[in-house]
Amino acid sequence: MANQVIVLVGTTKGAFFFHADERRREWRMTGPHLGGWEVYSLLGDNRHGPRIYAGTGHFVYGATVRVSEDFGTSWTQVEASPSYSKESGFALKRIWQIVPGHSSEPDTLYAGVEEAGLFVSRDRGTSWQEVTGLTQHPTRPGWAPGNGGLCLHTILIDPHNPRRMWVAMSAVGVFRTDDGGDSWKVCNLGLPEVPTGEPYPEIGRCVHKMVLDPQDSNTMYLQFHWGVFKSTDGADSWQPIEQGVPSTFGFPMAVTRAGELFVIPMQSDGERYMKEGHLRVYRSQNRGASWEISGSGLPEYPVYSGVLRDALAVDALEPAGVYFGTGMGELFYSRDSGERWEQIPAQLPRITSVKTWVLEA
Amino acid sequence: MEITVTVPALLRDCVGGHTTFTIAGATLDQALRQLRATYPLLRVHLFDEAEQLRPHVLIFYNAESIAWLERLDIPLQPGDRLDVLQAVSGG
Repeated sequence: MANQVIVLVGTTKGAFFFHADERRREWRMTGPHLGGWEVYSLLGDNRHGPRIYAGTGHFVYGATVRVSEDFGTSWTQVEASPSYSKESGFALKRIWQIVPGHSSEPDTLYAGVEEAGLFVSRDRGTSWQEVTGLTQHPTRPGWAPGNGGLCLHTILIDPHNPRRMWVAMSAVGVFRTDDGGDSWKVCNLGLPEVPTGEPYPEIGRCVHKMVLDPQDSNTMYLQFHWGVFKSTDGADSWQPIEQGVPSTFGFPMAVTRAGELFVIPMQSDGERYMKEGHLRVYRSQNRGASWEISGSGLPEYPVYSGVLRDALAVDALEPAGVYFGTGMGELFYSRDSGERWEQIPAQLPRITSVKTWVLEA
Repeated sequence: MEITVTVPALLRDCVGGHTTFTIAGATLDQALRQLRATYPLLRVHLFDEAEQLRPHVLIFYNAESIAWLERLDIPLQPGDRLDVLQAVSGG
């Protein structure tokens, strides 16, 4: 049965969905969906029939989850969206990430939010509860926002153990739970400390994006504020893997099912645009031992935009499709794991998130 | 007494797809409470976790922002309006 591929693109002014068959040669756009809303997170979920979750927000009106069961034609706002209690003293400003729970928990979803926190839904997104084991961590008073805000932007679940998870927060670092979220361990050993001015030396690590190796759940990789790192012990310790990367600063990171890694380096933390004006994706085909420029086909003209941390994604096909969106609203993709790049013809608002969804036709 | 309420188009999906509708109440305070109770999806966009009006949300009772009213137990009159507005905050 032929597959359908949908690339879900969130922007600062709505979402746009790009549909293709599994050859991924011709794309049909729908949208704008949720026009006017900032869409920082999207999830296409097949577990109970096709459903799209969107983390929507607005600088005036706050953030909520909206759900579509007709590929974006209509949306329903979730009344019991993630929300902090009055007593917590925290404010929910953005929903940065929505991910499905472990395969053994088909009704479960997790959401990572700003101010940094983790929420769980056990009823397919109808209601959400704060994972207080994280937000009541002893280091919480020292969590300080980075340039993008105090955001929990990455949630990874061990495919072999639903109670083992990792989260990453900008300017705070990596935390792991081995008991389903009741308690969390700081996992920043080997990551450089960034100056936050807070008296908690074990945190203050500016992780930009983290991915889990598809074949070894003790191995993970992250793009840091100053470097690219790898762990082979479940995040207990980290080692740099920057051989061939032209700059240590960047935001997004992705890994294919075959283990190919992708990053998009930028000039520096002070100059957050493409390194020397060249739009280049870097790929590692040996689990981070070395990196090289990924393929050809990206613009040769000067590019001084950026790619945000969640605006790079891969699909689940073979060879993998790789997709990324820029701050100027351009959408590029490769249907052969980064050998050849093309642009999907559209100029969108600033792209905040790119997610893929493969459906059986 | 019914009072006419308007909301920005961006929030219409929180109030049944309309931008203009009516709310019942004898006083402004009752109408505001009724607005929250009737449209819980709207409430989260107008009020924060501390149940305070979000900083860039304005609710005008006729020509006055409710933030500047000394009291809300004002008896409603025929023709009264409640307008939810986004403060013009730069740009």
